[in-house]
Parts: sequence; C-alpha cells; structure tokens
Amino acid sequence: MAKLISFDIDGTLETGDPPGYITMARVREALELGYIIGSCSDRTVSQQQRMWMEHAIPVAFTVLKHQLDRVRAEFSAEVYYHIGDTNMDRHYAERNGFAYLFPDTSIDHLWMP
Amino acid sequence: MAEQSEYKWRRDKDGLGVWEHRGKVAVAGYGHSPIDRRWDGVSMDKTLGAYCILACQKAMDDAGVTKDQIDGVICCDSHIAGPSGGSASKWAPRPYFAPPYDSEWGLTLVNAEWLVKTMGLKNVKFAPTKVPTIGEMVGMASQAVGDGVCSTCLVIYPCGNLEGRYRRGGENADDYAKGARQWVAPWGNHGGNDFINTFPHNQYCQKYGFHHDDLAPFVINQHKNGMLTPWGFNATHGVEPITVEDYKSSRYILNPLRIWDCDRPVQASTAYLFTTADRAKDMRQKPVYVLNHSQHNFKQPSTQADLNVMEMWTDRAAKRMYEGAGMGPKDVDIFNPYDGYAVMTQFYLEAFQWHGVKRGEAMAFYAGDISVKGPHPFSSGGGNLGNGRTRSAMYTDSIEQLRGTAGKRQVTVRAETALAAFTTPPNGGWIMLGKHPS
Repeated sequence: MAKLISFDIDGTLETGDPPGYITMARVREALELGYIIGSCSDRTVSQQQRMWMEHAIPVAFTVLKHQLDRVRAEFSAEVYYHIGDTNMDRHYAERNGFAYLFPDTSIDHLWMP
Repeated sequence: MAEQSEYKWRRDKDGLGVWEHRGKVAVAGYGHSPIDRRWDGVSMDKTLGAYCILACQKAMDDAGVTKDQIDGVICCDSHIAGPSGGSASKWAPRPYFAPPYDSEWGLTLVNAEWLVKTMGLKNVKFAPTKVPTIGEMVGMASQAVGDGVCSTCLVIYPCGNLEGRYRRGGENADDYAKGARQWVAPWGNHGGNDFINTFPHNQYCQKYGFHHDDLAPFVINQHKNGMLTPWGFNATHGVEPITVEDYKSSRYILNPLRIWDCDRPVQASTAYLFTTADRAKDMRQKPVYVLNHSQHNFKQPSTQADLNVMEMWTDRAAKRMYEGAGMGPKDVDIFNPYDGYAVMTQFYLEAFQWHGVKRGEAMAFYAGDISVKGPHPFSSGGGNLGNGRTRSAMYTDSIEQLRGTAGKRQVTVRAETALAAFTTPPNGGWIMLGKHPS
C-alpha cells in the first residue's frame, strides 16, 4: 500500500510565502517514489491547483488546512504524513491521524529508498 | 524632544463644538513604500527604516516640498506586532549592521529622532516621542499645524514584519494566563481585536438576525478594491480575489472569525504631509482640507465589552466627529472605516449612519451594491483586508478620491468629503477631510 504525504505550502514549499525547505524537485521525487501527494494549505483550493499546474505536478488532492480529514477519508495509505511549519499544521495533522513533520532536514529520510 | 503628553492636542471629549482649525489645515502629500510580506533580513534597501525614508521622500515629492521645509515629524515608534511580537518583531539577538542600522532603530522600530538624524532634516522643531498610532497621529498633526506648533509636518506610520510568528511571543507564548487574560488567552492570541470584537459580533448577529457569513460580500469587496489599489500588497503580489465559496469554506481563526476576516501583516511604511491651508495652495497638489479630527479612549466597563457597549462607544465617536466637523451623515461622501478584523466594521458603519445605514442594517447593506462604481462605494480604499496591514489605505484612498486621482477606484458618486479612521470601538481616532475648506 502506498504512503501519503500532505504538503503545507507557505513556509513549507519553496514556492511558499515565506519560501520553505522543500523544493519542487523534491516533490517530484516523492511522486516518483510512489507517494500519494497533495497540498493542504490556507490558500484557496483554486490557488493551490494553479500552483501545481504551473509546476506540472499532478497531485492527488488539494484541500484547505482544516480539511485534512477529507484526505484521510478518501485515500487508503499505509501511513499518512503532513509536513507543515506551524502549530496549526501539527494540530490538524494529529487530529486527523497524520504523522506531523516539520519541514527541515529531519524529513530527508522520506526520500531515501 | 518633547513627549506627546506635554502637548494637549487631543479632541477626545464630548461637546467640544466645531473644530477651531476647520479648513485651515491640509494634507498636501502622501507616499507609500513598496509592501513586502516580511523583511528578508538581508536587503538593506528594504528595511523598515529605508521604507520610512522612501515614503517620506515620496510624500515630499508629491507635495513639492524639500527637506529644509520640514519642521515637524510625527512617527509612531511602537512596534505594530506589539509586545507579543516574538521573533517577528525583534531583530536581536541577531547581530546588527553598520549605522544607521546598529540597533533595533531602523530595523524593527522607527521614530522621529531616528528619521530626523538619518534623513538630515535640519529644521525640525516638533518631533514628539511616544506618539500614538496612525488613527491618532493624523489628528495630532492636524492640531499641531493648526496651533502653529509646526507648519509642514510629516506623519509616518511604520509597519514592520520579520520572519517568525507574528504576535506569538511574549505573554502569548506563556503557558499561563493571568488576570483578565485567563478568559481569552487559552484560545490563542486573542488579546487583540479579534476576540474583543467577535463576542459582540456574535451578539449582533443574534440580535439582528444575521449570520456571520453575511460578511462575505464586504470582505470580497475589500479584496476587489485592494486589487484596484496600485500600491497595495494584494495588487503588487498578485493575490487573487476570493469567492463566496472561498470565504465560506475558509478556516476559522476564532469561530466564527474566518481567516479572510483578518488582515495580513506586512512590511511597509506610509507618510503624509500636513501643512497649513495657505501653504498648501502653493504646493504641487490640490489641497485636501482637514475639517475635523477626534479621538476616543473609552473606559472599559468590564473585561469584555458587549454589543450594547460597542454601539454606545461608536455612537459617541460618531457624535464627536460630526459635531466637530459641523456635518451630519448625509454630508459624508467617502467612508473608509477600519477593517483590520471584518467583524468590527459594521459597528462604525451603523454609528455614522453612512448612506442611511442604521443599527442592524449593515449586513443587508453589504448584500447590496457596495462596489466603487455603484451608488454606495463603501470602503473604497479596500482597507487593510484588501491591501495588507498598513493601516493607511483608508487615508490614502480618501485623499485620492477627493483629489479625483483614485484611478480605477474613483467613485462615481459625489466625492467632496471623506471620513477615515484607524480605530477600534474603544480606542483610536477619526479624521474628516474635504475637497473644499468649508
């Protein structure tokens, strides 16, 4: 069964405001490694979708930050990760059964084979 | 430098009558720095100090005056992120830079002394310390010019934002909440206007039969107006307008306060140039006259004001302003109240009865045509919600509307008077501007 990664945007991805630790190249790598990936942000869903389209990355989901439960309900995965830089990320991740990860070197292991 | 408390400039009492300097003071220039989300900690041409200097220069250029003509500088020296700003408000313990950035001054704080020295303003005779926020500073400048304390006065409002969590330090980071904070702090950083206004807002909705999300048309309109404001954060950063669905599905910050009900902290500065009406006539722009200024600092009857108190406070503020200006609700063409949290704006709209809106009617008013090209161009500047937390969009739009230079935001209704404010229901100030001195 696949593993799932939910990415916060602002403060987490390089395209965020402020820019975060995770590059778009890394996101593509995650996709290639077989992860189910998507975003979970306070940005509107249309803004999230536009961002992924601009980077030509086909994501499985784009949800608002307080709607992480929808991801959990829609996708069956071996493990659920949410990577984000604020305590709100931690709050919604833990509330919905996701493992919370801060976007720094501590997450590099996710990209190891 | 004199502390502002030494100079009795406030008009903060009921029954003061028409302002003695009505039409004798004018706004002759304004200037905005670029607006960044945060300072990057590297670009020395984008520090808070650099942006204040740039805004001052633009205001002077707009008015057509030179540095040697400036004899008054009023600058709010408090950090907009407040004592709970945490890492978002203080550069230390990181190492400082070469002068003039060898302390917090110029990086996270700016005051008149720093500006006078750094800009080389040699003829300044009025540069008070510990001045209040912009809502009151414009009144202070108006009174100082009217009283002859100074004649050509820069008013500067710095709004700084560094990386880090805004207002999540200090006592807000504490595990314990003492005194009155015990009632609000457990729900997060709600010592500010979010909690203070959300509670009476809920009472408002119950009393008058509305739902919180009836604010959506107002918030969306603020974003639209912001996109028509060339200097604003939203317009310069490509922030897309939101839809009703975006609004209604957005996250609660403090139920029912949604994320789109809150303004966005930014790194920016705004400056205005106040002078006498006589001097303004010879300056570059057509003068915009000050018809009154008033302030209020109402005593809190308890730890949390309810709807009745909110309405009483705002009624008193409106009465003071109208009395001092010698005007009434029907005389106000442009109305730019404060909107830092969307839940408080209806209190002002109804108190001032702009376009006939009375208590309990704001939500229905929002549901109508409040666009800048319509018959009720409410908050035509887009406020903080549409431009970022500069707290100055209300003033700049009012000036531009009266000058007739608001561009795509220019209203189609009469634009000869404008009422603007940065104020909360209990504290702050209002200013009435006019295209004509009387």
